[in-house]
Amino acid sequence: MKIMDIDSDAPLSNYGLYDLESDLELFLPNTVIKFHRISDNAFSYFRKNSEGKIVEKIIPVKSQNLKIELAPIRPLNHPARRTNHMFLQFDKEIYLSENSAASIFVHCPIEIGIFLVHDSNHDSLDWITCNPLNSRFGLYGSPDTGTLCKYAKVSLATDYSDSNSYLEGVMQIIVENTLSFGQSISKIVFQITDNSLYYQDSKTIIDGIKITMKKRAAVNIADVKTTVLETDWSMSPTWEDKTASTHMEMGLE
Amino acid sequence: MILEFLQSLSEMQLVGELTVLSLLIGGIIMAGGVIIAKIAKLLFHKYYAPSLPKDTAQNISKLIYFGILVISFLGFTSSQGIDLSGIMVAGGIFAVVIGFATQSVVSNLISGLFLIVEKPAKHGDTIELPDMGISGTLLDIGTFSSKIRKFDGTVTRIPNEKFFTSNIRSLTLSTVRRADATVGISYESDIDNAISVMKHEILHTMPFILQIPEPEFRIDELGDSSVNIHVFVWHPRDDWSNAQPILLNTLKRALDKSGIEIPFPQRVIWSGKD
Repeated sequence: MKIMDIDSDAPLSNYGLYDLESDLELFLPNTVIKFHRISDNAFSYFRKNSEGKIVEKIIPVKSQNLKIELAPIRPLNHPARRTNHMFLQFDKEIYLSENSAASIFVHCPIEIGIFLVHDSNHDSLDWITCNPLNSRFGLYGSPDTGTLCKYAKVSLATDYSDSNSYLEGVMQIIVENTLSFGQSISKIVFQITDNSLYYQDSKTIIDGIKITMKKRAAVNIADVKTTVLETDWSMSPTWEDKTASTHMEMGLE
Repeated sequence: MILEFLQSLSEMQLVGELTVLSLLIGGIIMAGGVIIAKIAKLLFHKYYAPSLPKDTAQNISKLIYFGILVISFLGFTSSQGIDLSGIMVAGGIFAVVIGFATQSVVSNLISGLFLIVEKPAKHGDTIELPDMGISGTLLDIGTFSSKIRKFDGTVTRIPNEKFFTSNIRSLTLSTVRRADATVGISYESDIDNAISVMKHEILHTMPFILQIPEPEFRIDELGDSSVNIHVFVWHPRDDWSNAQPILLNTLKRALDKSGIEIPFPQRVIWSGKD
């Protein structure tokens, strides 16, 4: 897939709040977003993404105090919303010996949401991915009983500052092996809707997970729990495409 | 005036103890029952059905509607002083006679009940009935028949008996589905290279194709003119249209870009003189 270049000299926009008074242009890798005031009570929205797709919308507004928030969101919407689960395949296996624990940081793909902020409400306007090639599906388990997940091959990060701007956030994974033998970990599957995202400038961090490998009766299991981050970074608004489950009474779209 | 009119109606006997007034009251009870049933059904559809699975909503809706009608009918019979036990005995004999005459109707009704209980497919599922050559989206399992909207937009009504006894292939029961295509390359082409370029093109240009399990390539046949490679890819169950119809196009594009020949059928002819 050819990734088109869009004004590659323009400085990239940071995440955060932007006042929408007249015209506003936001630049992300291979993506440009433009707001243009077309009347006292309406803006036009234009977005050209990395795949060359153009999205245009008209935004009628009531409030004069209008802001746009650009924020990282969970990577569940491209190419279409199909699952709540994330399948991260590590580029290197992690070996944990018996009764040991480890804390690692991994990169996790993100998408970027564009929110309309008015009177402290966040309305989701649009979302994009700056790296569509790393936004794919994978199946964990067998075709009849498996779990469909968003799939990504990821590398280990050094710490929270190792985030790939606009493309990947960093999340901490704490793994504890309480089994009586060593275990290799090459992938994790978890429900990412429990994890919040936080941003600062163009960097993203994500709530971590704690995996406890333990024996339950005769079965070895991995117990996965979300660990909430305590940070002074800004928390992203939640946004997932719910088009498929929205009830429409009069063909409202 | 009105009381006198009602009095006169109550004195007008039709059959036995049945009077015009009691018949009128019975009619009002039945009409009220029908109106209440319709309103209850409407309210249920408006306020509760959207939050339920469609087939469950339809079954509950029918239960509410016909439940109220049955209660109204019982109210009607009791208002007429009709003893249902007599009807039961007569009805039993009558049912045997009617049963023979309407075997297929009863069979469809019973099959419909079994379909609702067993749920081999639910409303909105994409199914195929191979015996009948029908495939499409299941719209409704009704009292006597079921409706399937075929992919060309037309709706086919199938008697429940036939539907129940048919093989039903569900295309939406699994989380993922597999699409496949066969492509031929020339005998001079490097098979491993061809597979590599096709795999790369699929994974890079078809966002709905699963990365795990990976696309699978099998040498299907050493054909007359080409080495035929069968390609299997997996995709989310609802995204068949983003996989199967464009798979062959993607494979051809990959081979064209890499200059790998897709040969036409060839025949070497030797003349008798040679």
